[in-house]
Amino acid sequence: MLRYIAYRSLVALFLVWLVVSLVFLLLHLIPGDPAELLLSQGSLAADPAAVAALRERMGLNDPLWRQYLDHLGGVLTGDLGTSFRDGAPVAEQIALRLPRTLEVIGAATLLAALLGVPLGTYAAVRAGGKADGLLSLLSSIALSTPVFVVGSVAILIFAQKLQWLPAGGFVSFSEDPVQHLKLLILPASAVAISLWAVITRMTRATVIEVLERDYVRTARAKGLSRAPILRRHVVRNAMIPVLTITGLEMGTLIGGTVLVEFVFNWPGLSGYLVSAVDARDYPEVVGIVIVISMLFVFLNLAVDVVNALLDPRISLVKS
Amino acid sequence: MTRTTRKLLLPGTLIGLILAVIVLAPVLPLHDVRAMDVPNRFAGPSAAHWLGQDEFGRDVLARLIWGGRASLFIAVGSALSAAVLGTLLGLLGGYFRGVVEALTVRASEVILCLPPLLLALLVVTILGAGTGPLMVALTLLYTPNYARVVYAATLQVRALDFVTAQMAMGAHPLAILWRTILPNVMPPLLVQMSLVVASAMMIESGLSFLGLGVVPPTPSWGLMIRAARGAMEVSPLLLLWPSLALAGTILIFNLLCDRLQAVLDPRNVTAGGALWLRKGPRRAALPAVPAATDGPLLAITDMAISVNTSERSLELVRRADVSVHSGETVALVGESGSGKTLTSLALMGLLPDQLGISRGQALFRGRDGRVTDLAQLDEDGFRRFRGAEISMVFQDAAAALNPVHRIGDQLAEALRDTGDAQEISRRVVDLLRHVGIPDPERRQRAYPHELSGGQRQRAMIALAVANAPRLLIADEPTTALDPTIQAQILHLFQKLKSDTPDMGLIFVTHDLAVVAEIADRVVVMYAGEVVESGPVAQVFARPRHPYTAALIASVPEGAADRLVAIPGTVPPPNAMPPGCRFAPRCAHALPACSAAPPGAERPDPARITRCIRWKEVT
Amino acid sequence: MTNGLNRRHFLATSLAAGGLGFLGTRAALAQEGGTLRFALSAFPPNFEAWTSTGTAAGTIKLLMHRGLLSYGPDGMLRGELAESWETDAEGAWVFKLREAKWHDGSPVTAEDVAWTIAEVANPDNAAFRQGQLAMITAVETPDARTVRMVTEEPLAVLPGWFAHYHMPILKKGEPKDTQIGAGPFMLDAIDRGVSLSLKAFDGYYKEGLPKLAGIQAIVYADENLRVAALQAGDVDLAEYVPWQAMDQVETDSALKLDVVDGPFMYLTFNGSRAPFDNPLVRRAAAHAINRADIVAAAFFGRGGALEHLPIAEGSEFYNAEFANAWNYDPEKAKALLAEAGYPDGFDCTMLSTAQYGMHQSTAEVCQAYLSMIGINVTLDLPEWSSRVQKGNEGQYDLAIMGTTADNNDPDGLVSVVDGSLPNNFVRSFGMPTPEITALFARGRAAFDPAERQAIYRELEQVAIDTAPIVGLAWRAQGYGMKSNVNGFANLPGQLTFYSGITLEETFFG
Repeated sequence: MLRYIAYRSLVALFLVWLVVSLVFLLLHLIPGDPAELLLSQGSLAADPAAVAALRERMGLNDPLWRQYLDHLGGVLTGDLGTSFRDGAPVAEQIALRLPRTLEVIGAATLLAALLGVPLGTYAAVRAGGKADGLLSLLSSIALSTPVFVVGSVAILIFAQKLQWLPAGGFVSFSEDPVQHLKLLILPASAVAISLWAVITRMTRATVIEVLERDYVRTARAKGLSRAPILRRHVVRNAMIPVLTITGLEMGTLIGGTVLVEFVFNWPGLSGYLVSAVDARDYPEVVGIVIVISMLFVFLNLAVDVVNALLDPRISLVKS
Repeated sequence: MTRTTRKLLLPGTLIGLILAVIVLAPVLPLHDVRAMDVPNRFAGPSAAHWLGQDEFGRDVLARLIWGGRASLFIAVGSALSAAVLGTLLGLLGGYFRGVVEALTVRASEVILCLPPLLLALLVVTILGAGTGPLMVALTLLYTPNYARVVYAATLQVRALDFVTAQMAMGAHPLAILWRTILPNVMPPLLVQMSLVVASAMMIESGLSFLGLGVVPPTPSWGLMIRAARGAMEVSPLLLLWPSLALAGTILIFNLLCDRLQAVLDPRNVTAGGALWLRKGPRRAALPAVPAATDGPLLAITDMAISVNTSERSLELVRRADVSVHSGETVALVGESGSGKTLTSLALMGLLPDQLGISRGQALFRGRDGRVTDLAQLDEDGFRRFRGAEISMVFQDAAAALNPVHRIGDQLAEALRDTGDAQEISRRVVDLLRHVGIPDPERRQRAYPHELSGGQRQRAMIALAVANAPRLLIADEPTTALDPTIQAQILHLFQKLKSDTPDMGLIFVTHDLAVVAEIADRVVVMYAGEVVESGPVAQVFARPRHPYTAALIASVPEGAADRLVAIPGTVPPPNAMPPGCRFAPRCAHALPACSAAPPGAERPDPARITRCIRWKEVT
Repeated sequence: MTNGLNRRHFLATSLAAGGLGFLGTRAALAQEGGTLRFALSAFPPNFEAWTSTGTAAGTIKLLMHRGLLSYGPDGMLRGELAESWETDAEGAWVFKLREAKWHDGSPVTAEDVAWTIAEVANPDNAAFRQGQLAMITAVETPDARTVRMVTEEPLAVLPGWFAHYHMPILKKGEPKDTQIGAGPFMLDAIDRGVSLSLKAFDGYYKEGLPKLAGIQAIVYADENLRVAALQAGDVDLAEYVPWQAMDQVETDSALKLDVVDGPFMYLTFNGSRAPFDNPLVRRAAAHAINRADIVAAAFFGRGGALEHLPIAEGSEFYNAEFANAWNYDPEKAKALLAEAGYPDGFDCTMLSTAQYGMHQSTAEVCQAYLSMIGINVTLDLPEWSSRVQKGNEGQYDLAIMGTTADNNDPDGLVSVVDGSLPNNFVRSFGMPTPEITALFARGRAAFDPAERQAIYRELEQVAIDTAPIVGLAWRAQGYGMKSNVNGFANLPGQLTFYSGITLEETFFG
């Protein structure tokens, strides 16, 4: 198993390197000069001498291969460089922002799973019934409604009209835990909606499948009552594919919370990336892409490992 | 119209409608999407502008339709180009494997290392916003999905005999790909397609919303939502229309995807769900059963098992008469489809949801001496008996044991009247030892897949006898095993019988050699009916039914082979012949045999046969 | 049952008590001036005091730092670190400093000023005022309170340079992104990209100021959310209220709106190639567009038509005769086009950006009107960064731009109109304007108000005739605030982004 993980990690690192190199090269190809942009904030004309001086300071006058090797060398030693904009260490900034994005994803996943697994199981047990039809409709709607629509409407209702919750923003947990959680509710719920739909549907499908399995009949033959059968033999087994899907969905969310972070002013990693791309802050963009793709690839690996732990039949070494 | 086409009718029609409106947009009498009418901005719906006017006073309905054109053009266009590209990569990778696979399927999977929205964002910033870049971004994004699906399907199809044959005959690989593999991967491709269109629309609208997608003044739903958001409070309807259109269209494509999946993979269609899980209304008190002070452990009389469909009811098993005395082993014999397994499942209340006992009685004498009619029990009623009084060994232990729980835990779960953890553990180890599993202390921690087939079956048996049931039903417990292991398991049953002399055993099998070895009495079933029963020695020595005779004759000397020697096959349940069900295959059949179902005849007080000619033919 | 009730009652009271306790601390703070929560539109990209880092950063600079001068709520120059300023006999500017302290307690001296000027003039520091301050040939500090700036020729506009928010004075030897300033507030905590907290500096040189105990600046990049936060009571003051929400803020009884017309939208042209190298074509474009629709569509009626150079009506340099010089007159536009040799119009591309709604909307309206005189415009709407680069490189025929001038003096328009400056996206590409360049130079050197008015009238006449840029619309710039926020003022005209200076006088009441 360890050997397998090591092998997969190597492949993953290779992929990350590929992705990062690609992004690095592409970034330099796209229009937009970071120095010019920085100095023309507020639509003011920048002085060409100042721009030239700044370009030199940013190292943008070096040949591209030189910049690439310098950057890669830094990355290998764990140094993601410093922001073009204010010289802040990129790694430090990512460390600050990543937990916030993970928090939204985590809270959303928790919410989605807590609602989705029981409801999906219920729908499976009542398959073909009215409740099942209703849930199927609801989950289809949830899957089809873009998160920015949900977010905008939620702000209008809960913040502006009812004034139950703040409209958006961020306060660190240590500063004001209550406000922090209040601010988390809307973005996490918005993300949770589509995730809930995915989990509900997946749970329903796998529970239906598991219910047909012989071992569920065996459990009935043992004389177990409904609850333990459902818990230990149906849901427990059905959770394996549900967990896989949830894990993969979480992976796509790492870079995919852009819209939610924008709508709710949640200062996470995705929004950071967009602002870095906007400002052509190359070290920041490359650093964030490294972190996101690493997380993504390793999350997928983790999903496989957890799967193997949950389902003793899966042997990682053989696959 | 078949059920499948009916299912596709709704989403198909809706998509057809949407496409028609969008395709016809240039000829529809719509306002110019760019014509501004600033003085009338935010005007509500009117006769001239059915859905009102937007922040520039432009007609919302026209923009909605043209916006759909842009959104769908991008979504469908990129879904198609990704499909072509991905299919090509998947086909090549799956067919040629090796280096080609690395260059096609694996290479495309690099794209999957990036979260989708991030990738789209990067591509669009690099290429600039607009319809073209969006399509490039989305095509890139979805190519690996197709490549994967097609690759997997190609691998499967490639292994099929007819493809191997074509390869062996030297057909050109491209011809094989084109002729045989492509049609075979179409169904998963179709499903993938509707999925991708929905997802592409979602991403397109998101990027347009961020200002990175479709370039104005071309309308797009994402852009309309973006613009309407600012004026949400002034004119909420402006936000509503594009949101509805977007969500609605995605919903329809998702629906199409679901329906397609259901149609192409009918396995997933489960209408009923698991009825046993639902708590039904509690049944009225069971009718009193005349209790004799002594009698058989189990007496099944004239039992029928039917399919309960709304249209009609079809009896799969009928006129089943079986009795088991305590300490007795009764073998239930017959070809597959004879109803022997259904009969045994009915005794446990484990019949599939669509089936039920429709007639007759199955009187069971419990440990406390009370007699219960199993045919009247509901799920809760059965639960009292399962495991404790009646239990069952299933045919395929590999499937019947839960793969994710340890053997010991599954066994512990079955135990009744348990004590503390130590006590449970001791009993589990004892049980495993009892059924002959070596090193039970260690083995109880094993998962089912870590045991050999024979050991799994032993564990299954341990599960069944955990609470010393009064009646054990073994449903072809040796069929899936090697002959040597079969003998060992049979031996185990014999041991269990001698250890618990009061236990009744119903042994379901199609193997007469096994019957001879283990059973006291034999019940022969054919096409859902009991055709003959009696003591094993007598029945084997002198069968009183032509079917039994044929069965015995078909067994090769000293070997337990499949019963293939009887000409013809068991008729399907919906085409049962009137009269004697064996008549069409019977060498001795007369016209009278097909006239009416034969009644039970007793050639001997201990024996029953359902052949009107038993006296002549046996 | 009674138990349950009691329990619930107990919980309720204890919660209420907790809440009151919390309110109590807030109330205590309010007595000392309270903390104002200010919704910023962007987080400062960095804290380099002299770099052009945007208007949001400018507001923060106006809290932390002080320049020699500033503009008061009336829009007039006033002293800050400098008490008085005048030219001496040789035409050099002499600034007398007042007694002021840095945040570390040390006094502000003439040497700090001299050092600042030297640093800003150094191109390596990429300062916003580098070009102008390079014109100062010598800085003398006859005593600790006097700074004398020598220029080759007398410069009337020099004091205005030192009132800009990107031109604060820093303490000698401090890094250029230092947190030590002489302003009314000190930087307390930074949550990068999220918020900034500032607290009052008790050694500020203005007696009794600042009135607030602190300012919490929170970034709301999305304009809709900024308004939502104001309405939801999450913030007390918000900058950049989007035009579509201004009615909403005005009608909300809990809020008020302070709005001025300052920034402006205009067309820039690519003068290096046909057809817009021809002034007739540029003027045709100027007459083709109905400005009222831009104001209505892009700014929801918040702003005004701009049919001349962006010199505000209230300014002493406003020329009433030019007020409608570029009026909407499609017939005239067509005639001009025909005169230029394009009777049937032509195809061209217009650069704008999809990233900002107002740029996009303005472009859409212009496109619609230009098509009516036969100019078929293809819109190019990349995101902002690409738009800047394309603008700098001249990859367009005509473009939509929006900005503010440096200040209300016509010399503030140099960066927008003067074609002798290097190519830049804020002005037309490859379009020399020799007459205008000369007039700007004359205006800078003239001290007599009447003389200056005459020079700038001539300049505007030249601009109207040659149309190096074409004005489109004034756009309103609004601050929304809760009704209990007092003392904050939106400075007039081009100075709206200097309004942060009044936060020192802002209080709750």
